[in-house]
Amino acid sequence: MMIPSRLGLTPGIPDHPLCTSWHDSAWIPILNTGNVMDYFSERSNPFFDRTCNNEIVKMQRLNPDQLQNMTGLEYVLLHVQEPILYVIRKQHRHSPTQVVPFADYYIIAGIIYQAPDLATVLNSRLLSAVHHLQSAFEEASSYARYHPSKGYSWDFKRSGIDKVKKEEKPKEEASSLFQRQRVDMLLGELIKKFPLPQPQLPKINPTAVVKTEPENGTTENKESKSDKQEKIKPPPEKKPKIN
Amino acid sequence: MESKLKRYEKIEFLGEGQFATVYKAKDVETGNIVAVKKIKLGSRIEAADGINRTALREIKILQELSHRNLIGLLDIFGHGSNVSLVFDFMDTDLEVIIKDNTIILTTANIKTYMIQTLQGLEYLHLNWILHRDLKPNNLLINGSGILKVADFGLAKLYGSPNRLNTHQVVTRWYRSPELLYGAKQYGVCVDMWAVGCILAELLLRVPFLPGESDLDQLTKIFQVLGNPTEENWPGVKTLSDYIEFKPFQPVPLKHIFTAAGDDLLDVIASMFVLDPSKRKTCTEVLKMPFFNNKPAPTINSKLPLPQNVRKLKELERPSLKRKLLDSAEGGTLSKRLFT
Repeated sequence: MMIPSRLGLTPGIPDHPLCTSWHDSAWIPILNTGNVMDYFSERSNPFFDRTCNNEIVKMQRLNPDQLQNMTGLEYVLLHVQEPILYVIRKQHRHSPTQVVPFADYYIIAGIIYQAPDLATVLNSRLLSAVHHLQSAFEEASSYARYHPSKGYSWDFKRSGIDKVKKEEKPKEEASSLFQRQRVDMLLGELIKKFPLPQPQLPKINPTAVVKTEPENGTTENKESKSDKQEKIKPPPEKKPKIN
Repeated sequence: MESKLKRYEKIEFLGEGQFATVYKAKDVETGNIVAVKKIKLGSRIEAADGINRTALREIKILQELSHRNLIGLLDIFGHGSNVSLVFDFMDTDLEVIIKDNTIILTTANIKTYMIQTLQGLEYLHLNWILHRDLKPNNLLINGSGILKVADFGLAKLYGSPNRLNTHQVVTRWYRSPELLYGAKQYGVCVDMWAVGCILAELLLRVPFLPGESDLDQLTKIFQVLGNPTEENWPGVKTLSDYIEFKPFQPVPLKHIFTAAGDDLLDVIASMFVLDPSKRKTCTEVLKMPFFNNKPAPTINSKLPLPQNVRKLKELERPSLKRKLLDSAEGGTLSKRLFT
């Protein structure tokens, strides 16, 4: 019950691709770079669209290199970290040089998952942040007392035992350094691709100048570039801890 | 007659069949490229009978038909004791395209080929004619991607309730189970089976049911579709050449045509029905969702052409360009030389 809401998805949809995984235990011991695409194209794999170009090439017994010359849906092996991790990308090919990625799938220890897209991750994180904030307020308000003569007061006495118990729980790491760096990189790329709209009065609003693209930057805001560099860096608590 | 002979200037020899030799020729009057099929006279005994039967069939049937997807019989002429038929010139045929490994046949391409075949065949069937020899090799394609059904040597009027037909028709790999079982009365279903085989071949790029003998052909069919029974094919046991086969488990079509979408599998299944009376007709097949669904059929001029035709086209184009360039630059060059 908790998982779908944490993912920021509508709960109660069990066959949502981000809540699904697939594996075939017969394949797992023999998986390698050479056969991982065959594993992925197993008929029962729900992530595999059998009308894709890969399957057309296979069915028509053509040279696999022909994929480059086709347009439409295809799957490619994007990343390999033998023997545990394989990343497969679903993409739409428009020409031999132009492709638009649709989704990534990772096969970890033989089990296939769809990698969540950034929007879903952000959604989920925002939702859990809001959820925790809301529970904090709910909990806080449960300690608030009101007496007609004394007015409002806090009463923490009763839940002391509960609190100790909760603190003993191991703290779950919110994200790894690798994940943070990747997400920052993705966000940076997105900002580059879709720059924020140019503010109307850049001189009055210095924070807006910071947000402009370096290409648009004129000599006037050269100084602001340096502090822009700083701003783009992750907040101090997210910086790598070098021990 | 002499004038007719002169009208078609031989360009090159194209091929030779059992009954005829085919030449590429130029129609001097219109400037069009045509194919001239010169019917062979054959032995003295055959000649005594008059003109060859297949040629007669072709003349008889094609004279009355005109459709974008049927080969056009443009002219007939005789000289001496020879008869020649003049047809539209076609660059290639579907067999060449299927065998050319540099060509990718996408679902959109296959859709266009199928629509053209079915539309030509629908017209034929509506005019009470069976083709009876459909195979990739008889589906001709010209440089602009128009497919035309050709070779009407076995075509015949159908529909007379008491006329018996021979079952020795259709190239074996495309022959339907009822013909293999010796049915003497049949209809459009024999052509539909062949279209199914052609569609399967477009998808797999190899003949789908390459039987080595008539019995092996039936084995290959039942290996895929399972055995015929009185339930799935009432009356099968009354056919003259009926034989019981050892039981086979049918294979789901989607295990064979792995990249085909469900709508396409439905089309294949509608033609690969053992009972001929349950096989869909051209009109019914053309109304199936596959032909309206995405992807849209490829426009004819964008269809892939085999290497040799492509090369010819490329050869033609630059030469034309060069001519234009020559005429445009020729003047300036000569001027330059003189000054």
